[in-house]
Amino acid sequence: MTSINSKLGFRKKSLWVYHFNSGGCNGCDIEFVASLTPRFDLERYGVQLVPSPRHADVLVVTGPVTKNSEGALKTIYDQIPEPKIVIAFGTCACSGGVFNNCYNILGGADKVVPVDIKVPGCPPKPEALVELLKKLTLGD
Amino acid sequence: MSGKIQSKMFVEPGTILDILKKEVDNGFNHLVTVTAVDLKESIELIYHLSDLKGNIKHVSTRIPRDKPEIATVTTLIPGADFYEREITDLFGISFYGKQTTTGRFILPECYPPGSPPPLLKNVDSNQVKDTLAKQETCEFKATTLHAPLSPESVVVPVGPYHPAFKEPEYFSLVTDGERIVKAFLRIGFVHRGIEKAAETRSYLRDIFLLERVCGICSASHSWCFVEAVEKLLGVEPPSRATYLRTIVAELERIHSHSLWLGLVGYWIGFESMFMWVWGIREEIMNLMEEISGNRVHKSFVTIGGVRRDVSDSLLRKIQERTKEFGKQFENLLDTLVSSEEVIERTKGIGKYDIEVARKFCTVGPVRRAAGELFDVRKLEPYGAYTEVDFEVPTEEEGDVYSLIKIRVKEVLESINIIHQLIEKMPSGNPVPSRYFMGTVPEGEAYGRIEAPRGELFYYVKANNTHNPYRVKIRTPTLANIQLVANILEGYSISDFPVIVTSIDPCFSCMDRVTVINSSTGEKTVLPVKLLKEKRRR
Repeated sequence: MTSINSKLGFRKKSLWVYHFNSGGCNGCDIEFVASLTPRFDLERYGVQLVPSPRHADVLVVTGPVTKNSEGALKTIYDQIPEPKIVIAFGTCACSGGVFNNCYNILGGADKVVPVDIKVPGCPPKPEALVELLKKLTLGD
Repeated sequence: MSGKIQSKMFVEPGTILDILKKEVDNGFNHLVTVTAVDLKESIELIYHLSDLKGNIKHVSTRIPRDKPEIATVTTLIPGADFYEREITDLFGISFYGKQTTTGRFILPECYPPGSPPPLLKNVDSNQVKDTLAKQETCEFKATTLHAPLSPESVVVPVGPYHPAFKEPEYFSLVTDGERIVKAFLRIGFVHRGIEKAAETRSYLRDIFLLERVCGICSASHSWCFVEAVEKLLGVEPPSRATYLRTIVAELERIHSHSLWLGLVGYWIGFESMFMWVWGIREEIMNLMEEISGNRVHKSFVTIGGVRRDVSDSLLRKIQERTKEFGKQFENLLDTLVSSEEVIERTKGIGKYDIEVARKFCTVGPVRRAAGELFDVRKLEPYGAYTEVDFEVPTEEEGDVYSLIKIRVKEVLESINIIHQLIEKMPSGNPVPSRYFMGTVPEGEAYGRIEAPRGELFYYVKANNTHNPYRVKIRTPTLANIQLVANILEGYSISDFPVIVTSIDPCFSCMDRVTVINSSTGEKTVLPVKLLKEKRRR
């Protein structure tokens, strides 16, 4: 965690997040959005959901990577300025999960882009993301 | 009521159009879906037709494997278009007489043209995977008009990853100024290949797989599959189990509708509505976690019952909390829905009438907003819906505003259903003594339930083994999305996200097998001038 923390340098104080659905079932996506709403309120740590990867510090990938989304995931990763952190949110993004042997699935997000942090769970609770981003901004 | 398919009407492939025409005239005018099954020596196509009284008919025809072609039925039922395209890609069957574009619909564009269709029995999943892995990148082809654009027109691409959508989808909008002249739709970024995977896993493991078709209506998917399997096994779940399943399904409807109501606020730029509704929605998520142990994928329904019992004290808690939720929800939505922002942005937007809704075989709230009481809970009651007294709201206008009103009323009605069920809750043990691990006797069955987005349909064919021979899923979004692409024309770009999301699309549900290429697939386009004249009239 410390090494990832230092990777972000001065930008870690207010993390801007870009969300990428690479073929998930919507479970993780909805939990991700839920973490931004009043009950969990990620914004209190300076975290903001941004509509463009060019503004982002963190890429959150949800879902197993399908063949169709592979190219887009690569492009979006390349568009995020350095330094950047990739979070695989949910079991599918970590390893392909329950869909691992489906014919249109490449596997987890690490098959396409370098992943820094994996958050397993089907889906992980919003608390998991809040805790993680809190640690990233404030340190351990 | 979902059931075993006892009798099918066998017809010759050449006569399919005449037979369907006769059935449509007899009142069986809703095409639920078209199922293809590879029988090894031939391919069977089953047309599931339903009327508005809850009867269902299965018209079956067999076409030879070496010459897989049949006439299209889109001339009779325009809504069949997407079902047929799905089959073309997955089974290699061509439908002649179609005025539409051909090409890859379900599979990625880079799947080589000569490669075997993945859902045929002799094709191995790994073989498809290897073929796909060899392809460098999969660029999809953006759909454009074949006729040259007039100088006033511009093509606006939206997506596939666009801030206005939470799921990947791609639209090319041909516009004239602010107005949309034609919308082309390309989806399939979430296609995973679940139907093929379901054939290789046991029935028990399939429940967990099929539940993950969609993270919003997950209990509906597992229930619909289990319903079909139970019919094949001849198992009747204990009545406490059916009550509990119904409660979870209704809680899911509340959570799904309130999720959508929040998002609609977000899309029209009314962020307070989004935050407020999602804030109170957490109460329902907490209840689901207490019932099943998970907020999203509940794994609650299992073959022969439910996975765990719900204690009486928790039932009372559900009653209290949903009552409180109902009060807050009503107060909140009364204020929000009557606010000018919402009315201005949604009233009269995305309008369609019942004829159009029928034409594209729409289901659920989308059909009901145009004034037809089309609800599987009433038509073909399943679970504990026969035991409760409830109303299904309908509206007349068929615009985004009436969709909002319908969903608000449905949430309140769901709370009413939950309260009645808890009052009447029978005693007994709803949990089967052991999980089902055996084989399922040969036969076919269908499951049909009302998911939050509308009618969900499963077809299961068993062949005396531990794995199903074929599982076919038809999700509500697939039925509804055809309508959207067609009603976009004439509206302004700023209304576009609201109209698209008004049907509550769930692309993860739909894409598990489907990619859609264009709105109507028409290759010709009306000249802008003609459209202008049309609008003036």
